[in-house]
Amino acid sequence: MAEPAYIVASDNETTGEEKSSAAFPEIAIGIDIGTSQCSIAVWNGSQVELLKNTRNQKMMQSFVMFKDDTPSGGVSSHLSHEHEMLSGAAIFNMKRLIGRVDTDPVVHASKSLPFLVQTLDIGVRPFIAALVNNVWRSTTPEEVLAIFLVELRAMAEVQLRRPIRNVVLTIPVSFSRFQLTRIERACAMAGLQVLRLMPEPTAVALLYAQQQQQTEHENMGSGSEKIALIFNMGAGYCDVAVTATAGGVSQIKSLAGSAIGGEDLLQNMMRHLLPNAESLLSDHRINEIKSMALLRVATQEAIHKLSFQTSVQVDVDLGNGSKIRKVVGREEFEAVNQKVFDRCESLITQCLHDAKVEIEDVSDIIAVGGCSCIPKIKNLILKIFKREELYKGMNPSEAAACGAALEGAVASGVSDPFGNLDLLTIQATPLAVGIRADGNNFIPIIPRNTTMPARRDLIFTTVHDNQTQALIIVYEGEGNKVEENHLLGYFKITGIPPAPKGVPEISVCMDIDASNALRVFAGVLQPRSSHPAIPFMEVRMPTVDDGHGWCAEALHRAHGASLDLVTVQKKI
Amino acid sequence: MQSLTISGSDSRFLFPTTSMSMPDPKPSVAFFPAHISKPIFSTRVSPGSVKAKAAVNDGLVAEVAEAAELSFYELLGISESGSLVEIKQAYKQLARKYHPDVSPPDRVKEYTRRFIRVQEAYETLSDPRRRAMYDRDMAKGIHLAFSAGRRRYQNDEGMDEKGEWKSRWQAQVSELKRRSMNKDSKGSMSWGARMRRQREESCNGL
Repeated sequence: MAEPAYIVASDNETTGEEKSSAAFPEIAIGIDIGTSQCSIAVWNGSQVELLKNTRNQKMMQSFVMFKDDTPSGGVSSHLSHEHEMLSGAAIFNMKRLIGRVDTDPVVHASKSLPFLVQTLDIGVRPFIAALVNNVWRSTTPEEVLAIFLVELRAMAEVQLRRPIRNVVLTIPVSFSRFQLTRIERACAMAGLQVLRLMPEPTAVALLYAQQQQQTEHENMGSGSEKIALIFNMGAGYCDVAVTATAGGVSQIKSLAGSAIGGEDLLQNMMRHLLPNAESLLSDHRINEIKSMALLRVATQEAIHKLSFQTSVQVDVDLGNGSKIRKVVGREEFEAVNQKVFDRCESLITQCLHDAKVEIEDVSDIIAVGGCSCIPKIKNLILKIFKREELYKGMNPSEAAACGAALEGAVASGVSDPFGNLDLLTIQATPLAVGIRADGNNFIPIIPRNTTMPARRDLIFTTVHDNQTQALIIVYEGEGNKVEENHLLGYFKITGIPPAPKGVPEISVCMDIDASNALRVFAGVLQPRSSHPAIPFMEVRMPTVDDGHGWCAEALHRAHGASLDLVTVQKKI
Repeated sequence: MQSLTISGSDSRFLFPTTSMSMPDPKPSVAFFPAHISKPIFSTRVSPGSVKAKAAVNDGLVAEVAEAAELSFYELLGISESGSLVEIKQAYKQLARKYHPDVSPPDRVKEYTRRFIRVQEAYETLSDPRRRAMYDRDMAKGIHLAFSAGRRRYQNDEGMDEKGEWKSRWQAQVSELKRRSMNKDSKGSMSWGARMRRQREESCNGL
């Protein structure tokens, strides 16, 4: 009998209660799921150790191959050649696709991958499929991630000789809470319980805090505060964090992130090398997938070489009659990707500004992730800080997994006799959360970079006379207009006592606990009474599931402005 | 003075308070940290009574009540002339004690409340301008009027620090006005108290 590809351990979302109340009998492992590569680490009792697969690799390619009946992932399967991954049968870059709807520009940018990503621009899941025996087999990023996680879990269980249940996963800073629920869902499908989802640079910050603490012990240091900037850029995402570290405590001062990465550099370069690549890249005619793969591999190799040499010869026969023979210089590569590099720069300056930190205050600058070895990236960072050198004490591809493993050990309640686990991360919110009010505006209630746990509230009021109901529509993001932000969910409060518009005081409170669970409370305050006018509603967010792109529009169509709220302006 | 120490924001952790008796544009809306979805009070507390503190006698709660009455300096355990370095050190030390990630599993809720309070103290005292304002207020005996969690939306909010500064100051002024107006009134409860009362009742009803 064939083994099932994966086990659906729980179809329910993991709830905050489960996360925080369980006594942890085991040390949680740390997993860094990258857009292109993945690694897994665990606290072995005295230090963090990276686990290797049966082929002795610490870094495993993040993909799942759909072949015959049983899909297999990059942990166990071995590719004879890079082209095999690009045959259309393998799904990769799932971290760029998970939790995104088909109107998302990042999804649109993924349409040129060899497998099928089809969009209808209506705000639902994109149609994602792998080519198996010339037939498109549909799948979801959650399913792909779950299959991959099952392999990772099996590998760790064999090596550690114990069942694995609890994990700490690293995630991009720019992930919305809706995307986090998709990651949790994938973990649940793989039988894993998420102890923490850690923004990648904060995992690196924790590793840095541990290293600083060890240095202090050795030098009998004073334990004074050190500020570090962490820049983490991989294939899919670019994240920045500023951390203030002292005595093993890493206090995240600010976070910034964007869905830009090596994949964008690669695609820009492919389009540059083959000016009319568009039809080849997006049509998905089965006979052209191979040409696309050849171009992709050649471009990837060229970009890698340009990190070590100033020019490279690209020589590739795409097999469909077109050949590319060209010398590409490093400057050309940099010019083609100027926008990506500009964005990296602006993320760093934004992060410094939000942390209220001057460049002279920063003791160490840490660059990690696959793109950190690109000379242009290194140079632009050094230029911002007017420095000669970056921090050297970390392996750029392993740091995030190591940090996640440290957090896993700390959160599992493990203590170390030598004090190597006397660590703590004080996290901050990467995105603001708030509600829709004042027309189509997004009104933040907990702003970006607020220390967690946090609790904030704001008073709103009605827009119509005798308005008895109000819709609380919760969004997350940075845009001023709701449509620029991620919809997390909505609920209605009813029974507002009839009153002229502007009179009822509707309190909306948001609470984020240390495990990052968000709760929203809403109700009507009643002056001169010991009871709120109506029972307060407490709702855990996010509540939306699939197709949430439609929801906001449908709500608007059904209710217009009849359930709207406005902010209460200051009266003195 | 009594009405100051038990009103609105400072009693946010726990007990019902004297509060406004008339419709007020700035009701006290600071209340219980959230993850408490069940009421932890089995005793019904009487509105407006200072004795409520004794009624809610559960050790843990009384301890937090104490913390709620401390000044930010006392909360961080530093002197009023403490330097920025001392503030930062004290904050990190207390974070290691109270942050829910490292606190004993059975005290997470209590420690989370404490952590949020310590965080507020740190954020105020580590910002020279906010600290100066706080010091001035403290000299006047109204230092507990601060509460980071309590505010109204302003369009210019977050645009510049001055704006925030101004809005805090205005919030305090109106809070003071409110207090002087309602010093002796005991008719109503804080938002948190109303919430707890209501939850309690809905529980009793089950």
